[in-house]
Amino acid sequence: MIAIDKKSIECDVLVVGGGIGGLMAAIAAADGGAKVVVAEKANTKRSGSGATGNDHFQCYIPEIHGNDIAPIMKEMNECLTGGWLDQDMTHLFLMESFDRVKDWDSWGIPMRPHGAWEFNGHAKPGRPRIFLKYGGAPQKEVLTREALKRGVTIMNKVPISDVITNKEGVVIGAIGVSIAEDAPEMKVFRAKNVILTTGNTSRLYSPRTAGWMFNTANCPACTGGGRAAAYRAGARLVNIEMPNTHAGPKYFARCGKATWIGVLRDLDGKAVGPFVTQPTKELGDVTADVWHNVFEYKNKGGQSVFMDCSGIAEDDLDYMRWGLTQEGDTSLLEAMEKQGIDLRKHMVEFQRYEPILLGRGVQINQKSETDVPGLYAAGDEVGNFRADIAGAAIFGHIAGRNAAARAATISSFENAEDSPLVEKKRELYSQILDRNSGPSWKEATVAVQNVMNDYAGIEVRSEALFQTGLEYLGRLQESALSGLTASNSHELMRCQEALDLIEVGQLIMHAGDFRKETRGKHIRVDHPYTNPLLDNKFVTVRQVNNKPLAEWRDRT
Amino acid sequence: MPPVIDKTICGNCGTCIDNCPLDVLHWSADGRETEVKYPEECWHCNACKLDCPNGAIQLRLPLPAMLLYTASPHKN
Repeated sequence: MIAIDKKSIECDVLVVGGGIGGLMAAIAAADGGAKVVVAEKANTKRSGSGATGNDHFQCYIPEIHGNDIAPIMKEMNECLTGGWLDQDMTHLFLMESFDRVKDWDSWGIPMRPHGAWEFNGHAKPGRPRIFLKYGGAPQKEVLTREALKRGVTIMNKVPISDVITNKEGVVIGAIGVSIAEDAPEMKVFRAKNVILTTGNTSRLYSPRTAGWMFNTANCPACTGGGRAAAYRAGARLVNIEMPNTHAGPKYFARCGKATWIGVLRDLDGKAVGPFVTQPTKELGDVTADVWHNVFEYKNKGGQSVFMDCSGIAEDDLDYMRWGLTQEGDTSLLEAMEKQGIDLRKHMVEFQRYEPILLGRGVQINQKSETDVPGLYAAGDEVGNFRADIAGAAIFGHIAGRNAAARAATISSFENAEDSPLVEKKRELYSQILDRNSGPSWKEATVAVQNVMNDYAGIEVRSEALFQTGLEYLGRLQESALSGLTASNSHELMRCQEALDLIEVGQLIMHAGDFRKETRGKHIRVDHPYTNPLLDNKFVTVRQVNNKPLAEWRDRT
Repeated sequence: MPPVIDKTICGNCGTCIDNCPLDVLHWSADGRETEVKYPEECWHCNACKLDCPNGAIQLRLPLPAMLLYTASPHKN
């Protein structure tokens, strides 16, 4: 039987996940006068996809870009994070972005490390550049310090699995498990508001390096827990059927395309994209950002694709190394040095990575609210807006402000610990811990990855594949719920992650089956036409009568 | 496997155990030594190495994550 902390933890705002979005939410909520707790799976100093840094931050600075915001909106829609953005959210993001940049700069995250505001990389020739180059290596430490300074309570090594609602469907708390010790301990929170900031969903599809499940570009501790919890609590997910892929060094996925200053070329040295022919720090090579299947296209023609930095100016090579360090890619720099790679003369092969959910997930409005009263979301977890680190910073702040304002209107806490969900979870976790034999979290995770690769992949999709895939995932879910075993808190956390992945995978298949057309990387061989009537239409999924219901809505 | 701890200079201060985003590092059963308990769950983020006050940690990339490279036809 799993231990349970008898004393519930009370707070105005519970932030689930202390990444960039979570810490910014906590800071803003505390500034708004709320009592804030951050429950973090790892440690806020080094957790999430921004763990060891970043070097590019989308923003709109009128003194640089001019007063006309329209060209910047266009770039937002057409850059690597574009495609599935509500336009009102994008406008709001841009209008607040410079304020957050100035906050970070004043707190000690160098936002203009070379003096002036500097926009470089991820850019097309002749277009405005929207990625501010910054020195993000210390960002998690600085934001943690700022949160603590404001009286925020940070509970590290406490992943949250469920949001608790009352009979009216309003948020009253959440359930988590402390993994600080080998023996897990359940924690129940009484919270007037919950902000979900659990990041992307990695580990849903298997990476190219079979068997190395944690060799992922984005943080593999992020496995869709917030999306699954939001869905179960009654919130809508949106755009989850649209696969999102990233590219970078083949087989070493940790770093992604990042901040490379080079040209994507074939073995003969011919540029594969239309944007650049020489390395330029102002542009980078945006080909892989916007033409995601360039790698498969070239591979099928018998070619590989390489990042070729040869011909780069020495100053620019230093600038790139500095950028990679700020981006948190020091392990890549060290690996290149150890393996004798000299970017002046060697080119490094790139590939597309497996799909993840990033900017596909929980639907929010301009106040960062979900459809469930008291439940907010921000950052990579959101489905109708995406701007990665910057998106997390701006919408995290918005969520925190609004949650604090709502908390001020609620006078008392409800007894979240009396929710039947608590007992149900306690029973499930106890069974997983008490079983003597059965499948491990690894088996469950590999199994869900197999099914997702083959039945909700990025090469071929169809109703037949989704329907059989759903049957297989349903059976896998039953086997996991009735058979998983864990011998300690670490393994129990991984079991919960596997269960979340299975649930999110099912929702992707429901939404994917509903979108009966081909669009982008959603390749329906049974519906090969891209239907113009579905332009600017998003698919949402929510739980109705214990079943997922997919619906259309217009882009706003 | 990643990370590799040089036991001769590790101060067993627990910083890497506290900070690892993937919960790879733990205390040994007797609670005295730092242990790489789940090496296959390393994300290669380098936090442990960056945060180690004694410089006792190096990452060793597993062979499947080797970088693939070749000479550029444009090399100077």
